[in-house]
Amino acid sequence: MDKQQEYVLRSVEERDVRFIRLWFTDVLGVLKSVAIAPAELENAFEEGIGFDGSAIEGLTRVYEADMIARPDPTTFQILPWRGDRQTVARMFCDIQTPEGEPAMADPRYVLKRALDKASAQGFTFYTHPEIEFYLFEPLVDGEPPRPVDQAGYFDNVPRGTAHNFRRQAITTLESMGISVEFSHHEAGPGQNEIDLKYADALTTADNIMTFRAAVKEIALEQGVFASFMPKPLDAAPGSGMHTHFSLFEGDRNAFFDAAAPLQLSDVARKFIAGLLRHAPEVTAITNQYVNSYKRLWGGAEAPSYVCWGSNNRSALVRVPVRKAGKGQSSRIEYRALDSATNPYLAFAVLLAAGLKGVEENYELPDRAEDDVWELSPGERRAMGYEPLPASLSDAINVMETSELVAETLGEQVFDFVLRNKRAEWDAYRSQVTAFELERFLPVL
Amino acid sequence: MTTRSVSEASVLRRAGVADPERVAGQIAQIEAATGLRLAAAGVNPAGIDAAGINLPGIDLAVLADPDLAVLQLLRLVEAAIESGDLDRLVSVVTAPTAARLAAILGASSALGDFLIRHPSLVSTLASPEPALPLSASAARAALLVAVGADPSAPLPVATIVGAPGVDALRIAYRTLLLRVASEDVSSPSPVTIVPTVAEALADLAGAALEAGLALARADEPGYAETRLAIIAMGKCGARELNYVSDVDVIFVAEPGPGADDARSIAIATRLATAAARACDRPSSELALWQVDANLRPEGKDGALVRNVASHRAYYERWASTWEFQALLKARPVAGDREVGEAYFAAVEPLVWEASQRENFVEDAQAMRRRVEEHVPALEADRQIKLGPGGLRDVEFTIQLLQLVHGRADESLRIAPTLAALAALRKGGYVGRDEADRMDHAYRQLRVWEHRVQMARMRRTHLLPDSEEGLRALARSSGFASSEALLEAWHEIRRDVRSMHLEMFYRPILPVVARLSAGEASLDTDAAGERLAAIGFADPEAAQRHLAALTEGVSRKAAIQRQLLPAMIGWFAEGPDPDAGLLAFRTLSEQLKDASWYLKMLRDSGTAAERLARLLSTSAYVTEALLASAEDVTWLDKDEDLVPRDEARLVHEADAILARSQDADQCITALRGLRGRELARTAAADVLGLLDTLEAATTITHVADVVVGGALRIAMSEVGGGKAPFDMAIIAMGRYGGMEMSYPSDADVMFVYEPHDGPEPAEADRIAQHVATEVRRLLQTANPQPALDVDVDLRPEGKNGPLARSLASTAEYYGRWSEPWEAQALLRARPAAGDEGVRARFVEAIDAIRFPSELGPEALKQMRTLKARMESERLPRGIDPRRHVKLGPGGLADVEWTVQLLQLLHAHEHPELRTTLTLPAIEAAVASGVLRNDDAAVLAEAWRLATRLRGAMALRGYASQRTNVIPGDARELKVLAGILGDGWTGTQLDENYARAARRARVVMERVFYGWEKE
Repeated sequence: MDKQQEYVLRSVEERDVRFIRLWFTDVLGVLKSVAIAPAELENAFEEGIGFDGSAIEGLTRVYEADMIARPDPTTFQILPWRGDRQTVARMFCDIQTPEGEPAMADPRYVLKRALDKASAQGFTFYTHPEIEFYLFEPLVDGEPPRPVDQAGYFDNVPRGTAHNFRRQAITTLESMGISVEFSHHEAGPGQNEIDLKYADALTTADNIMTFRAAVKEIALEQGVFASFMPKPLDAAPGSGMHTHFSLFEGDRNAFFDAAAPLQLSDVARKFIAGLLRHAPEVTAITNQYVNSYKRLWGGAEAPSYVCWGSNNRSALVRVPVRKAGKGQSSRIEYRALDSATNPYLAFAVLLAAGLKGVEENYELPDRAEDDVWELSPGERRAMGYEPLPASLSDAINVMETSELVAETLGEQVFDFVLRNKRAEWDAYRSQVTAFELERFLPVL
Repeated sequence: MTTRSVSEASVLRRAGVADPERVAGQIAQIEAATGLRLAAAGVNPAGIDAAGINLPGIDLAVLADPDLAVLQLLRLVEAAIESGDLDRLVSVVTAPTAARLAAILGASSALGDFLIRHPSLVSTLASPEPALPLSASAARAALLVAVGADPSAPLPVATIVGAPGVDALRIAYRTLLLRVASEDVSSPSPVTIVPTVAEALADLAGAALEAGLALARADEPGYAETRLAIIAMGKCGARELNYVSDVDVIFVAEPGPGADDARSIAIATRLATAAARACDRPSSELALWQVDANLRPEGKDGALVRNVASHRAYYERWASTWEFQALLKARPVAGDREVGEAYFAAVEPLVWEASQRENFVEDAQAMRRRVEEHVPALEADRQIKLGPGGLRDVEFTIQLLQLVHGRADESLRIAPTLAALAALRKGGYVGRDEADRMDHAYRQLRVWEHRVQMARMRRTHLLPDSEEGLRALARSSGFASSEALLEAWHEIRRDVRSMHLEMFYRPILPVVARLSAGEASLDTDAAGERLAAIGFADPEAAQRHLAALTEGVSRKAAIQRQLLPAMIGWFAEGPDPDAGLLAFRTLSEQLKDASWYLKMLRDSGTAAERLARLLSTSAYVTEALLASAEDVTWLDKDEDLVPRDEARLVHEADAILARSQDADQCITALRGLRGRELARTAAADVLGLLDTLEAATTITHVADVVVGGALRIAMSEVGGGKAPFDMAIIAMGRYGGMEMSYPSDADVMFVYEPHDGPEPAEADRIAQHVATEVRRLLQTANPQPALDVDVDLRPEGKNGPLARSLASTAEYYGRWSEPWEAQALLRARPAAGDEGVRARFVEAIDAIRFPSELGPEALKQMRTLKARMESERLPRGIDPRRHVKLGPGGLADVEWTVQLLQLLHAHEHPELRTTLTLPAIEAAVASGVLRNDDAAVLAEAWRLATRLRGAMALRGYASQRTNVIPGDARELKVLAGILGDGWTGTQLDENYARAARRARVVMERVFYGWEKE
């Protein structure tokens, strides 16, 4: 029993914790939880908690159902939800096989492997997500969702639900040790954005999972409903998760070079080139639902074409203007990600794509100065701006041939994602939609 | 030459002087300069004029290198005259303490040089105070004072700065070092005081770092804004430093009052760098030793200084096993004590978690093997530290035991090697005798290491390679001659090597198995811990087997008590130690009356190890050995494990058939031959003496021999040995491709050619009978293993006659056959029977299997058939991707692809005409019909699938089960162990999935003609 574990045991006793939730994430990025009583905690540290992995999406193949969840004591946290009368705490878990080997299908392990690879080249990977989501009135079956307000970008809504909500959310997140950098009302009605502070990619991914759970809980407390669905309203912008990336070599920001154009180092340029070249392949991971493509192709700042620019809000990769003298804050922004992605897998494939560019010295194409949306299709083709996949089906077909994605996710996750997403597409395609009924039924 | 000089020369020679004439001259020069006369007292007191000996403290006969001592004394005298220190020197050499000076001058040219540079320091050797044990705080104070810092200040700052400060630090260090070294070399029993010497050296190093830090602060105005602690690792951390070694350190800093972390780290980084450089950068006074900070998190790429939390976070998430082993020795030595203690408190518990980490023992042992491999072969014999049986081995054994048991027993959490060994002994974890021998070995090795380092103050761990060097080393470490020293050296190395096994494994044996009272025997819990640590899944059962094997007073039990410690280790290296130990128990019980068995295991260099490896790896071989226990004798000789060549087997079969007329006797002997060769091949396969494909060839040859024998028996039974036809047996499928595995069936066709004359119908009737008889002989129940004969690939399949005449066969294929039957013929290889029939068969089918053209209809039919097989032939309820034979990218995909290329192109490219898959792939590349990269992908997937099936067969799976990769994590790990590529179970799973996925992509393009956009 190490000190950290002892600390957890002591806290559980002192704080009168009644249940400990062991958290992990399935391959689709849905948070899973096993609750244990404090009496089981010591055993959970020593041996892990066995559970039936076959019940969890993508985690195991059916015939090897036994899996072990090993709680990571450094992630111990009291859950500050007010709704719970009894004190509840949580820890993230690593998933292992009964032989004690890391489970290939544990998304946390997928990301850890990708980070290890970066670390072998001397890099650490930092991310900073800007998470957008909608607040709705409580859902009513059969009716379209109703946003809690009609405000817009940066609007301060007097006594608005969203305002209270964000304040409560931020307090809750900070009390869980998750630093929040920024929060404001977004462009859509009822849409909000909260930015999490820079952290290494694994911590960020854990934080995003916690963030989603916390936001949903607080919404319930306040009598509203929060959704991370990429495009819940057809007339309003979707919820993206623009994410800033940077690589560090030791304490030095590897993206910064004071002498280079845009102060972008060679590493940064190759990293961007890697992101661009592999963007279509990884889209089925970064934008994983049929609904994701309605955001991606719905305009309103969503990037549909593979290109990069500085302060170009139509570009897939944007290089933000830096404040002078802040070399350590050099970073690039990847704008395709949406709020419903599995952050572990998404960070893993994007890191791998960028590193591939660095390893193989990809050439960075010229940057896009124009608003890519305004160009004609012919102009875009002439300028070499490839489109991202237009649908989940397209995205799967591109990903299927990707060695990069297969190697990064591991064969098991790769195969699972392909099968799961094909099934999703097939189920989606078999729908007869309201659109069809409205448009065709009367006339055909 | 005067009488006196003759006698002096001989006295000098007897005192060990190599060049008496030159030394006598130097003695005369010293006398001329000082009026003092050196001599070799005690050697032959009567031989010299008593008046000549007025330096009774200096006895050349006891010095390491008397020639060196005299030369250095002369140079010291000259230097003292020049610096005006002669009186001081004279008072030292005439005092009783002169022995210390002489000992140093004879043992170390480097320390001699130091004295010659600073003659005034000679009086330090006259101090009546013993230098040992050295007080750490006094050393710290002395070095701080030397740089003008106040030892009692909370943050001492040097007032003598820059180069003079660095030199002052080093001179003060060496002055103390001189005293420690002189007391060490003049000690009557160096092995007794070696731990005290090592402690003194570590404390001196700590003091030097502290003074270095004081120097650094002088150049860093913001020094109070950080609280920097220097943690020593390795030998310095464990207070067992040698004379010259890199001093391993880690820097940790917390912010001082009013500073933030970033500023604290920045200042601390400058302080740390400067403190280290004060010890190791070039200056007019030589550098002390290298300060090595590469054990820090992330090694040389990591930040030089981190705070406590960052260190801890690193070790929790990223660190590898060796880093925990390094932490075992961590100790704060300089700088801020509180921060140092906080660091220690944060990381120390992690060390004891390390033994719970996955693959901990494997990692640790692999690490040691790597270290050994790095020793250049030329030096291995002289390596005191790294070579086999050297210091590293001693330390490794002790650390491993500490890590295994230290979790449960806190009394073992001790850094210094000897103290840890004593604690292990006290706790009963190692035997008393072994502990004593290990203790002695360690001390002696350290004394030698100290002596060779001291000579030139170089970081060396090599015994001298010159006779003079060895002689000096022998004299300074209490050995009469270099021969005596080398003898002791070889004995210690042997001892250390064997003691690893003895100390680690023997105490696992139960109390009843103790060979002598001095041996340790662990209690059940501790023994279980140790068994679990090396990989036994069920330590309790293992302890029961060990008890059964070692109980009693029989000779057998006694030998097994000797054998088992080593064997437990070998079982543990196999993938399934539990099964191995159980099988060993069963085998030993079965062979309890065979005296040769245990004798061979005891006396053979390899048999016991190989047996342990086989039993803990392969259920197939275990079963074979249990069925035929005398085959164990092969393990003693490599030549017995080489597959028998086919000619020799044919010869043996001929002899069997000639010996007896009785069909049952003959076939039993032939099947026995096959069983024996399968066991031999499997054993060699497991032991890595041949690969899966070589094994497949051998298995196929053996099948040919037995099938051929069965045919001869069957033919001899009909018509009084004169059958009215000739017959051949055609191998098909995997048998035809010479790719059989241990449990494979033999796919065959029977073809005959009637002699002229008799009724064709009668010949056909007899031929059917012969074919039936061949199958009966090979398959019916019998004490010897059966070979199942599968005839489904014959013309018309299940509806066709068992045997068919050559004419009818040729006609059938020419007129009726489906494309898939032509495809099946690609694998047809005549395996036994009449040579003429064989040749004519091949002639008849070549036109069919290598057609001049494959029509679009046939191509479409073949593709459709394959697609249908993919959906229908796979068993229900399993994941197709785990089916190595029929799943996507599996054997069938690769083989169908290759066979399609053969059907299309073998007519034009005769090199494609082979029944073997891999050569066919190579030929396809050579003929330009397959891309090189595609061929590599196909071959890799096929080879891995084939090896996997071989591994599953060796593991003991029944034939059908070798088609599906198991889902069970433990089984996967075992299979990975048999494959021996160094993969974990999940890696094996992953690697197969990857190879198969890639092969499927190639297959879809080449076989189906599907192009992705």
